[in-house]
Amino acid sequence: MSKLRTMTIRHKLISIIMLTCIAALLLVGAAFIVWQWTNLRLAMVKSLSIHAEIIAENCKAALAFEDVKDAEETLKALHVEPSIVFACIRSSSGKDFAHYYRYDVDKSIHPPEFQQEGYVFGDGYLTVFKDIVLDGEVIGALCLRSDLYPLYVRLKLSTGIIIAVLLLASLVAYFVSSRLQKVISGPILRLAEGAARIGEGKLNHRVKIRSKDELGHLAQSFNDMAGKLKESYASLEKKVQERTSELSSANEKLEVEIVERKQAEERQAQLLEEIESINQELKDFAYIISHDLKAPLRGIKTLVDWITTDYADKLDEEGGEQMNLLSGRVDRMHNLIDGVLEYSRVGRVKEKMVQINLDELVREIIDSIAPRENIEITVENELPVVVCEQTRIIQVFQNLLSNAVKYMDKPQGQVRIGCVEEDGFWKFSVADNGPGIEEKYFEKIFQMFQTLSPRDEFESTGVGLSMVKKIVELYGGKIWVESEPGKGSTFFFTLSKQEMGVKDAKYEANIVSRR
Amino acid sequence: MVVLALALTVALIAPQALADSSSSREYQIKAAFLYNFIKFVDWPEEKMADSNEPIIIGIIGKSPFGNAFEPLKAKKIKGRSVVVKRFKGFEKLKKSSGKNETELGRKIEALRKCHLLFICSSEKKNLKEIINSVKDHSVLTIDGMEGFLEAGGIIKFLVEEKKIHFEINVTASKRAKLKIRSQLLRLAKKVVKEKPSKEAKS
Repeated sequence: MSKLRTMTIRHKLISIIMLTCIAALLLVGAAFIVWQWTNLRLAMVKSLSIHAEIIAENCKAALAFEDVKDAEETLKALHVEPSIVFACIRSSSGKDFAHYYRYDVDKSIHPPEFQQEGYVFGDGYLTVFKDIVLDGEVIGALCLRSDLYPLYVRLKLSTGIIIAVLLLASLVAYFVSSRLQKVISGPILRLAEGAARIGEGKLNHRVKIRSKDELGHLAQSFNDMAGKLKESYASLEKKVQERTSELSSANEKLEVEIVERKQAEERQAQLLEEIESINQELKDFAYIISHDLKAPLRGIKTLVDWITTDYADKLDEEGGEQMNLLSGRVDRMHNLIDGVLEYSRVGRVKEKMVQINLDELVREIIDSIAPRENIEITVENELPVVVCEQTRIIQVFQNLLSNAVKYMDKPQGQVRIGCVEEDGFWKFSVADNGPGIEEKYFEKIFQMFQTLSPRDEFESTGVGLSMVKKIVELYGGKIWVESEPGKGSTFFFTLSKQEMGVKDAKYEANIVSRR
Repeated sequence: MVVLALALTVALIAPQALADSSSSREYQIKAAFLYNFIKFVDWPEEKMADSNEPIIIGIIGKSPFGNAFEPLKAKKIKGRSVVVKRFKGFEKLKKSSGKNETELGRKIEALRKCHLLFICSSEKKNLKEIINSVKDHSVLTIDGMEGFLEAGGIIKFLVEEKKIHFEINVTASKRAKLKIRSQLLRLAKKVVKEKPSKEAKS
């Protein structure tokens, strides 16, 4: 069946017709053979029975008068029927009276058991039994045995004829079906061809089938379909064209934009580079300036010292005062330059990253600041262990703490250091109950050289907070202040755990303690 | 073993042999043949008119059959019973009749009523006379004597190679209006068509 599926319609039709034809013929042939077999058997039985009847009639007298010779003579007549293999007359006393064997039969074979009148098929023979009746008295019995050769011959003949007829009929069926199948397969093939053409895109193609059967209808609807397809295809094509033109114009715009963007990026990169180099120059410049300014400043200081010492007696009180002022201004200048130097060093000079226990470090810083008696600095909770440049982290805490101490205006000064863990970073806080800062200065205080109080009141360079900001931002953190004037202010800064965290919180020997 | 078997056979057969002392094996067969002849011979209508009448086998002269007919007695042939009638020798018949012609005629009539007439060898002398007296009355005359057929007899027994055969005189049977079936004729050793001698005719 699967093979039938892959065939062309032409071959399918031929095959179906042929198979039907052959099947029918086979059935008829089989029926014919069976019928003939039965008929032939009956005919054989009849023929043999007639022979038996004649022989029985003819050998009555011989049997009655026990004339064996005559009986055998009678039996000999059977040779005209070559299928008869064996014949036997048996007297009523049960003695075999006369025999007949066909010339080619072994005479030693035993005659069959006598049975009632009738016939038996068996062992490839047909055996007929016939009673010999004389004047109403059974005086003996006759047995005739025939081989089935004629039966087989006839059967072979009819089988041969059937096969011949089958072949001939198949041949005829093949020719007829290969002519007639065109009636059906022709239009289908044309339809298929038309479909293939339309499939290739030739939408103007039409299938020409004039028949008024289902195939004709199919062809008609197929043509209609092709027409509709053509229409919709045309409209579709139009739409596609429209869309394409829209798309291409959009594309062009996009390309222009991309080019512009690229140019902007290039410009940006260029600018960045410029900024970088300018920045670098600035850094170098700051360093060089501050470094080079120190030498003449030192000279001035030395000169002031000399003048103060050498001309102490020549200078009046006001002069001495002025000299002290000068010396102080020079010192401030010196500090300022140091601050700038320090500031410029942040980010420019790289230190080794080490693990630092902030708890210990902050205590040491508090000690080094040595706050006044009335100021209490407390660490509210345990501070974490971080990895960073030691000098920088010291600068952060030192600046914040010393600011808090420096500007403390309350008789009972309180400075609290805290640390809160929030997701991804630590939030440190340094809170005081000092004078506080007005909100408008929240940004300003982190700019360089910005101090809120006059220079003479508090010795300050104005570098500290800007440096703290620079360091914190260097480590990816933020710094801001919350304050209420008169009540105090709290400085917050964050450090990223990811960048500065210690994988193992239980740090051990390699904690570098200060000094 | 063989001796014992023989002794047994003799012992078993002996009483039968004694009983059949007067009937030899040959006559047993001949008796059967007589019965069988009836089956293959057709008598004219007038002889078989009454279907209740038996078929008569006549034996004239000194019978050699003994009781050979005993086992056949019960048999029916052509739907009729068979009766065996014994007649004294022709000579004796004539004697017992004396000069009474009607008595002899009656006796001859009885002979003529027979369907078969077996003429024993004792009647050799009177053979022609007997045949002549029955020849036109559809009697199947049977005998084993030489010259029987020539004398006008119809079937003659003869023994050859210990087998019993018979010869048939078709001319005689025709004259007697008997139809002898071809099957029987075929079995006959010889079928004679000669005419009976002048002497027998007269």
